Amino acid sequence: MNHYVISIFVALVLFAFVALFTTFGVYAERKVSAFIQDRLGPMETGKYGSLQVFADMLKMLQKELITPLVADKALFALAPIIIFVAVYLGFAALPWAPGLIPANINVGIFYILAVLSIETVGILMAGWGSNNKYALLGAVRSVAQIVSYEIPAGFAIIAVVMISQTLDLQEISRQQGILSAENVKFLGFMPVKEVGGILAWNIFRAPHLIIAFVIYFIASLAESNRAPFDIPEAESELVAGFHTEYSGIRFALVFLAEYSMMFLVSMVGVILFLGSWNTPLPNIGAVKLADWTTGNVWGIGWIFFKSLLLIALQMWVRWTLPRFRVDQLMDLCWKVLTPLAFLCMLISGIWRLWLM
Amino acid sequence: MEQGIFIFLALVTIASACFVAASNNLVRSVFMFFVTLFAVAGLYVFALADFVAVTQIVIYVGGVLVLMLFTFMLSSKETLEKLERSKQPFFTLKQFPALLVAAGFLIVLVNAVTKLHPNQLTWVINAQNNTFHPQDNTVTNIGINLMTAYLLPFEAISILLMMALIGAAHLARKEQGND
Repeated sequence: MNHYVISIFVALVLFAFVALFTTFGVYAERKVSAFIQDRLGPMETGKYGSLQVFADMLKMLQKELITPLVADKALFALAPIIIFVAVYLGFAALPWAPGLIPANINVGIFYILAVLSIETVGILMAGWGSNNKYALLGAVRSVAQIVSYEIPAGFAIIAVVMISQTLDLQEISRQQGILSAENVKFLGFMPVKEVGGILAWNIFRAPHLIIAFVIYFIASLAESNRAPFDIPEAESELVAGFHTEYSGIRFALVFLAEYSMMFLVSMVGVILFLGSWNTPLPNIGAVKLADWTTGNVWGIGWIFFKSLLLIALQMWVRWTLPRFRVDQLMDLCWKVLTPLAFLCMLISGIWRLWLM
Repeated sequence: MEQGIFIFLALVTIASACFVAASNNLVRSVFMFFVTLFAVAGLYVFALADFVAVTQIVIYVGGVLVLMLFTFMLSSKETLEKLERSKQPFFTLKQFPALLVAAGFLIVLVNAVTKLHPNQLTWVINAQNNTFHPQDNTVTNIGINLMTAYLLPFEAISILLMMALIGAAHLARKEQGND
């Protein structure tokens, strides 16, 4: 029985983390956008507007749940829950430190790809259930985009998996630092198992994985429906896309899902390419920086810090680049990213056979 | 506890499958099909086939179900409502082949359950020492088997998929001189 109590407790902690991160993320997003556009952002509520998000949450919680008269009531009410749960399920398999992972499963990364694809069903449900043409068009666009960009993202991930020869996220993490069981080579020639640090990260284990990381990052922006790929909710054409009709707590759930998705894809990127919970500091001679900064507490700190850096990059991209057109978006996916990702996978196979 | 979860999943599978077959609302039955597929994936986990369970979700939920929903999104609502409103009698002649197949399958199943004694089969007895633990990694096993013992079916499937891809590209292509 104890086992079940611990499982429920872990799930609650993860939920609390996701909610906390979302409040922080919304505030950060508004401040970053303000900085980039040379504004001040929220300033009135609390010191430097720090209570703005809590005020927004209070407002959202007490709003009326409006259901359109001709909507499919059951589908309309269920959709935000499915969208959020799909993303939330993904957090179960993410490792946080050498000895800390909520569910250690052999097929970790494959599981995450699978549960993220459930989100598309939730989005279609929202679009159909709303009985609104903007919501329907937004949902179709959104799903077409997510399904298309899953292909380059998937192949970029396969390129990493072929190098590390496992789908287990904890094992992939371990291979990128001083705790590795097998030999780690920097760019395929310099053994760095003892040195560790930034030199042992996956993007430096093989040079083509840098390209794979860029492909994954672009595709992850598209999968979380963020600018410059936010055509599903292009305000000028579609009002607000698939969540046009949502209000109150249901809208909050959709919002929560978007920000959790940002964190999830960033964390998966960090685990696969940027050394996971491993320290960026290498051992230099007698100065054992990598040995000193590897451990459970350090691990949580590093992975959290690296994920936040990637999220900052996502925000920077969002507020810098204009939105893509639909045809440009599909061109980029099918004519540029997918062939490049296939090439990365091919090089990975050759690399693994001849250079490792 | 495990048995409780298993029974729950099995009940959900059967109930949602019945709803899919019986419901008049096409869109809702497709969404209910999602529940069925998900519960079946859960049953695979109980058979220690974690890779198959995850593959089930990737292919059916992420692929097949989304395709089915897309056909609804692209068809007009009037056509759908006409389909839903048409009252059919409980049994018509055109349903006869379906009934025949279903009855034949039921006979096969009942035969298999009653005539098979799984504890006396030689390969089951021989496999008694060849146990499998939840922690074991199935992925390497699947990979090696696909590339050795089952290479021919694997390649045949890849040719089939290639044909589907070429066919889809051909259908989607613009007709020459039509634009």
